[in-house]
Amino acid sequence: MTKYLLALAVLFTAALEGQAQTEGALSSEEAETFLKGVNFNGLGRVYLRQNDVEGDFLENDSLTPRRITDGEFLLDLKINATPNKKTEVQSILRLRNEFGGFFGAGQSIEVRELWARGLIANRIEYRVGDMDIEMSPFTFYMPTEEGVINQPSAFELQRDVIYYEQFYTGDNTRRMQGANLNFGLKFTQVLKDADFRGFIARVRGTDFLTIPTRWTTGGEIKLSSRKLVDQTGTRADLGFNIVHTFDDLQSGEANAGIRNTVYSLEYNIMGYETEKMQYSLFGEMGTSDLKSIDEDDNTVYSSDDVFLTVNGGALFLEKDLYLHAGFADVGPEFFSIGAQSKRVDFDAAQSLYNRIGPDQEVRDITLFDLSRDVAVYTYQLSDQLMTYDPRFSNTFPYGPATPNRRGLNYGADYEISNVQASLNGALMSEIRGQGTEELKDFFLVQAKVDVDVNKYLEWENNVKVTLGYQFENTNRGGIEVEQVDLNSNLFEAGVELELFEDFEILLGAKLLEAEGSDYVPRIDAFNIVRDFPERNQFNDSETLLAGGLKYTFKEGIYLTLQYQSFDATGRTGSVRDYTLNQIFVLYTMKF
Amino acid sequence: MTNIFEIKRLLSLAVLLTLFAACDHDTDPDGPSLFDRFAPLELLDTLESSTVQVDFSAGESMSFTAQFNKNIEWVLTITGQNSGAVKTFSAFDRFVEPSNATWTGGTTDLPLFRTEPCTVVLTAPDEDPDFGDTLTVEILGTKEYDGVLVTDFENDPGANIQLGDFEFELANSGRRNDTIAAQGEYFYRLAGTDNASGGPTDNFFVGLARIFAPIAGDTYFQVPTTVPENLYLNLFVSGRPTPYTRIVLGLIIDSNDSGVFEEGPDAVRSLEFDPTYSGWRLQSFTAADFGASQAELEKVVGIEAVLISLNNLQPDPREEVGFEMDFLIFTQFGPLEL
Repeated sequence: MTKYLLALAVLFTAALEGQAQTEGALSSEEAETFLKGVNFNGLGRVYLRQNDVEGDFLENDSLTPRRITDGEFLLDLKINATPNKKTEVQSILRLRNEFGGFFGAGQSIEVRELWARGLIANRIEYRVGDMDIEMSPFTFYMPTEEGVINQPSAFELQRDVIYYEQFYTGDNTRRMQGANLNFGLKFTQVLKDADFRGFIARVRGTDFLTIPTRWTTGGEIKLSSRKLVDQTGTRADLGFNIVHTFDDLQSGEANAGIRNTVYSLEYNIMGYETEKMQYSLFGEMGTSDLKSIDEDDNTVYSSDDVFLTVNGGALFLEKDLYLHAGFADVGPEFFSIGAQSKRVDFDAAQSLYNRIGPDQEVRDITLFDLSRDVAVYTYQLSDQLMTYDPRFSNTFPYGPATPNRRGLNYGADYEISNVQASLNGALMSEIRGQGTEELKDFFLVQAKVDVDVNKYLEWENNVKVTLGYQFENTNRGGIEVEQVDLNSNLFEAGVELELFEDFEILLGAKLLEAEGSDYVPRIDAFNIVRDFPERNQFNDSETLLAGGLKYTFKEGIYLTLQYQSFDATGRTGSVRDYTLNQIFVLYTMKF
Repeated sequence: MTNIFEIKRLLSLAVLLTLFAACDHDTDPDGPSLFDRFAPLELLDTLESSTVQVDFSAGESMSFTAQFNKNIEWVLTITGQNSGAVKTFSAFDRFVEPSNATWTGGTTDLPLFRTEPCTVVLTAPDEDPDFGDTLTVEILGTKEYDGVLVTDFENDPGANIQLGDFEFELANSGRRNDTIAAQGEYFYRLAGTDNASGGPTDNFFVGLARIFAPIAGDTYFQVPTTVPENLYLNLFVSGRPTPYTRIVLGLIIDSNDSGVFEEGPDAVRSLEFDPTYSGWRLQSFTAADFGASQAELEKVVGIEAVLISLNNLQPDPREEVGFEMDFLIFTQFGPLEL
């Protein structure tokens, strides 16, 4: 409904703009000009998948289908219009038909995206409708998903589908629906420029009963200085951020709601700059406040906490090497709805084999699901810390803003013409124990390397090897019941081999091994740890192998045929030993 | 240069203050203790009582002690070996100690304790169903309950209880001791089968008992308060599991100030309640529930209990209805505390 209202608003805006411009019917010249400002783009996709499952549990299982075929045909038609130099409107209409759907079943037509933007008085940019918002890592920021370090190309194509469907961009933006204003100022002394931005977005609507409408608003001021000390090249960037999420208790009959406010100060001080190197100091600090209020605006529950990050970076320009290290302290009760809501919803039901086995047990989300299933991803904001899987991420399950962490992080990026490599890691510890005074220690290492092999071999065709590796250790001492020791290894390897022009063989592998034990808390409203249901014993191994062909007709248009095989083993007593095979055809056309 | 150093000092101080402020967090652990949740249960100190024999009638009490290695939900159950009376204590704690396990003679599940030996068992049902630590104690005198006793039926009431039999439908009714009483040895039973046919009328009423005030030694019951909302009539009632029995309980008011009950002139303020359950339970009603006024409570000359059969629910042939009652007592400001 909101989409249609927005559609009307956009059309109305366009109509007004048109009217203001013409005062009457368009002349043929003006109509031609207008039509020149209308562009039709879009995306077409055909995605057909056949999956089958194998495993000992199937012997006594008459409920689980051995083979499932699904797919979809869709066309996203993007209509972009610039009725004048100050206004741009865009909508994406989606026509979708499920594979096997006929006589109207499984068909849908929907407005996937709708927005208008423009300039007010040649100074202030506005945008209404759908928009992608990103602020600082602690205020409004979508942390990256688990299970990916350096995605092999073989899996990249399915990830593109997930990213497209969930409106993920290459950055850490989150899709919202509302209004955004921003403008900038330039200065001649001390300050170079200042950028201002404010937004308001509706997170959810009311059910007119107990669920109130939820809004999130935010604003940021970014200041960039000129060189403060000429000899050293010292300059500074400062950012002031505020995000406030609140329930409108005047909507519906709700008698309780939340207030979450996060303030932060970002800084990036270029301390010393020469032709060979640059030293910088950067980070962020701030506070959060979470309240539950009743209909009379009385505070029923309240918690607040602070965070701080301090990092130093050194860029060696001649060696294409960047080193950085820092300290982070994020309070146990720091809560930022906009920054801690995860991409992966580990409580979501997979679209494929959500329940398996004679007792129809819920199947854990695995590497296989993370690589292919849109259903386990979300861009919605969560009003409490979401469930996580310690096998994939225990150090930073909620991204950089993960609460209850203190420690050091480090990293290095290296790039030469044929190799791009990076190493990142962290030595963190809890600030507050969970169920004990003892604190967990976390050790994390992530490494990734891309090698353009064809450049070594002096081939014209693309030959690229990608490698990714993550090691994570979680450890806690104390008496026996308090002790935790979990090791996980995630390894990724991929090969792109261009046999002929635009015709590639894609090979990929992902391997996850997790061994040890940890407690995963059951978190209730307001992030209160209610219980530790059990000690989770892990002896898991997941292997995902992929091989296929890809033919690129032209940029943005390709066809791929792939076969993937996934094996899960471990954790006796549950349905963990099985194999999933997948063959899929994916044709994507961006136009 | 001096200014630069001053600025550096100020900046350093600001950074340090910020660091200290940022590092100051509440560090009390989140969630339940893992030790309590998952450590194996051990009994460090076995169950002991402060005394082996206790005389509750003399105001004595008995406390228990034990110690576990961790906080658990423990249950201490005291069971009368003759009466079957049960008193339970429970807490989420490491310790069984006087603050959470002191017994003054009361009961949790009726009947009341008698002078009898009792078995005391300490269990941890959520932790280890097989765990139990046991000891035996003895009651030398039972607890005296606060209130104005109407009757506990231990003595023959003579003419102070009138048993009324509608159409000769009562059977095995009156003062009895053929099963466990809620208190002492005797209780009072009204039981019978309403006539569906064959009797002169099909009247719902099976029988009644009227307990007159002289049973407590006075013309009128000396109630502890005449404020209707504050005066409670308590009685232990054992019902029937079948859904056909109802009890109409009434306060008989000496409306004509004759000093004795006279059917017709004297008013009855009554209420109905449902005794369709097994075993003894405490029933407590305020005088306001009966609809009695403050003036009327000064002239309560008797208590009436009428046994009713819900004929429209009864099968054919009709089943027996009935109840037992014991230990009628007036209290003020609240129901009888067991």
